[in-house]
Amino acid sequence: MTRAVTRRRDWDVPENKQPVIETRGLRKVFRDFWRRPTVEAVKGLDLTVNDGEIFGLLGPNGSGKSTTIKMLLGLLRPTAGVIRVLGAAPDDTRAKARIGYLPEVSHLHPFLTPRETLMYYASLFGLPRAQATQRTRELLAMVDLEHAADRVVSGFSKGMARRVGLAQALVNAPALLILDEPTSGLDPIGCREVKDLVCALAKNGVTVLMTSHLLADVEDVCDRVAILDHGVLRAEGKIAELLRQPDAVRFEVEGLDESDAAAVRAELETRTGRRVRQEYPSMSLESYFLQVVARDGRQRSFAMAPFLHSPSASPHSQPSAPISNS
Amino acid sequence: MATGTQNGIGIAASARRIVGVAVLAVRAALRTKTVAALLALLAVCVLALPGVVKGDGTPEGELHILLTYTLGFAFGILCLATLWAACTLFAAEIDNARIHLSAVKPVRAIEFWIGKWLALLALNAGVLLAVYAGVYAQVCWRIHRDGWEAIEQPASRHVARPLLPTPREEARATLAALRARGEVPQGYSERTILRVLEEKANEKYNEIPPGGQQSWRFSLPRPLRAGEAITARLRFETEYHTRTQVSGICRLGCVETARAVEVPLDDFTMKEIEFDVDARAFGQIPADGLRTFELSFMHTGDARHAAGLLLRFRKDVALLIPGGSFWMNLLRAAFVHWSVLALLAAFGLTLSVCFSLPVAAFVATVLLVLTMVSNSVVQVVSEEDAQKWSNRAGMLVSRAVHGVTRRALQAEPLTALTHGERLDADLLCTSLGWNVLLVPLLLAAAGCVVLRRRELADTE
Repeated sequence: MTRAVTRRRDWDVPENKQPVIETRGLRKVFRDFWRRPTVEAVKGLDLTVNDGEIFGLLGPNGSGKSTTIKMLLGLLRPTAGVIRVLGAAPDDTRAKARIGYLPEVSHLHPFLTPRETLMYYASLFGLPRAQATQRTRELLAMVDLEHAADRVVSGFSKGMARRVGLAQALVNAPALLILDEPTSGLDPIGCREVKDLVCALAKNGVTVLMTSHLLADVEDVCDRVAILDHGVLRAEGKIAELLRQPDAVRFEVEGLDESDAAAVRAELETRTGRRVRQEYPSMSLESYFLQVVARDGRQRSFAMAPFLHSPSASPHSQPSAPISNS
Repeated sequence: MATGTQNGIGIAASARRIVGVAVLAVRAALRTKTVAALLALLAVCVLALPGVVKGDGTPEGELHILLTYTLGFAFGILCLATLWAACTLFAAEIDNARIHLSAVKPVRAIEFWIGKWLALLALNAGVLLAVYAGVYAQVCWRIHRDGWEAIEQPASRHVARPLLPTPREEARATLAALRARGEVPQGYSERTILRVLEEKANEKYNEIPPGGQQSWRFSLPRPLRAGEAITARLRFETEYHTRTQVSGICRLGCVETARAVEVPLDDFTMKEIEFDVDARAFGQIPADGLRTFELSFMHTGDARHAAGLLLRFRKDVALLIPGGSFWMNLLRAAFVHWSVLALLAAFGLTLSVCFSLPVAAFVATVLLVLTMVSNSVVQVVSEEDAQKWSNRAGMLVSRAVHGVTRRALQAEPLTALTHGERLDADLLCTSLGWNVLLVPLLLAAAGCVVLRRRELADTE
């Protein structure tokens, strides 16, 4: 399939990567029954998500993240502005065939089993039955739900339902994965697994757009982020660049005893004429938790479904930047 | 990465999506116990109702209860269930945001619509077959238990009506006569006058007074063959106390063989008289059978005491010949009912695309009631009665609803079953074409336009 993303000449495409999602001047005004405007959720948003990127959309509640995602998916119509997703309008079925979506609330049919749920969504992608069955089996194994594959979803915990939701988002081996709060409802192990999976997918050429209230999650996996507030784009860029403090330098030395540390500190203060802060770094609570659970032999990780491994079929699978923090 | 794109196009992929949507809707119905509750209600209706409603003790009365009351009641329940279920299918999914996961998949609006509609058709087919099978089993059991004679058993017969001018032709002739006499009503358009005259022609009662005689010619829908019997039927509305002295002679003659049979009739206690004549009574039957007959009735009652016999010639006089088995006719009736349910399902689905569940259910119910009463309003209320603006508005709405729904509801399968009349192929074709193809197609188009334009998410 030929690449269909259209590029406007004046658009800035960083690092020669082609944009997968583009919005220009995107606005959304909600109206009441009498067509009177009630709230302007998104105000002139210009956003570009490039091929193979993991892009984080951040913002407080009511900042317009979900509204933006729903417009990207064609669930809402923009009041003004242009949206191109995989080179097409959001309601184009050819583009939809290459998108995977996990909403903030999974919205699964409670009377279906995970197997039936995945078969249903596979049928919506027009997959032949044999292929759908194979993918369903692989995805159930991937999200570790084989043991509950034939139990109805209504009896599932939030975490299990989330896993089913994640599996359905991958049933078409998407080129673009849109995840709205993907770690919501998951325990720390589940969160780690999802983050690992997102990184692995990106390495295989999948573009990921995710939102999360857990900033640590975003920091862990995203290449670039955009921060929305009251519908306005407040900041956008690579995480490393956004978080960098140019007027400060940090050294980390292992095995330095107390007296040597004091000597180094004194030397630095003498040379720079500035006050030097000395810290003993600790691991994050998440790392400690995972370490403890690993000792109990409970830690595991999502094994990617085989059909998600082949990078050849993705039209966006040019080599992407290595994910440094996976 | 093998994206779904390659598989997402083409007729096969489209069919898989439609089947997927349909299977989901069927599973929803079966697993949420909706169908179980409906089946329980219908089982009570089919099994208990004939025991509760008392007949007149005759096999004909028993059959009437089974076919008209039981099937009619069950069909009414199914109509409401179908309409409300259809109203739920889209509206509930949109209201609880479950459609978000489906709508972002490469599914066209028409595929969604057809999938859900097919699910309702499949469920209705299953439930209707179960109901009809239950009624058929009861009929068979009663025949066995009560030992009904062959003539009392339900039948399926082709019906031939008298060869008369159509109501439209008669209306035109009447209008021409009124014009010639200068008696055309003033203040009404010609179209309105013609419509009223046509309705009157269709429902007009003709009187055969004592000493009077009336003849009708018939062309059978298929030839009468040797070994078969032909049945003549007269149905009349003359009140009981005025018809006790009615008597007459029916003469049934075959035009091809120029032979006739005379049957004296003196028992007018029932409102319907039927008599059978064996084909051999008309003489030598040619190889291609007998097709053209003439029926005449001569009122031989005493002119001083007896009332005239009141008949609607187009509806109340008929010749009947064997036309297949009763159970096949029952199946045809089930098909007609299924086609009406298909129409209701389409209607409900389109409403559910346009409105939220409570609004869609309310609008659907109101329109259903309006459809049911519009027929009576149009027939009973005359132009003269509708002088006030409110009455005129009501009449206008009733006419519009009646005009739209008349063709969809013109088949009356239960009446035909009760009278042993075969539901002919043209009627089934009309039901199929109008109720299952044409109108649902228009409703689907409207529903898809709305579904494509409607926002499926809100501020939350």
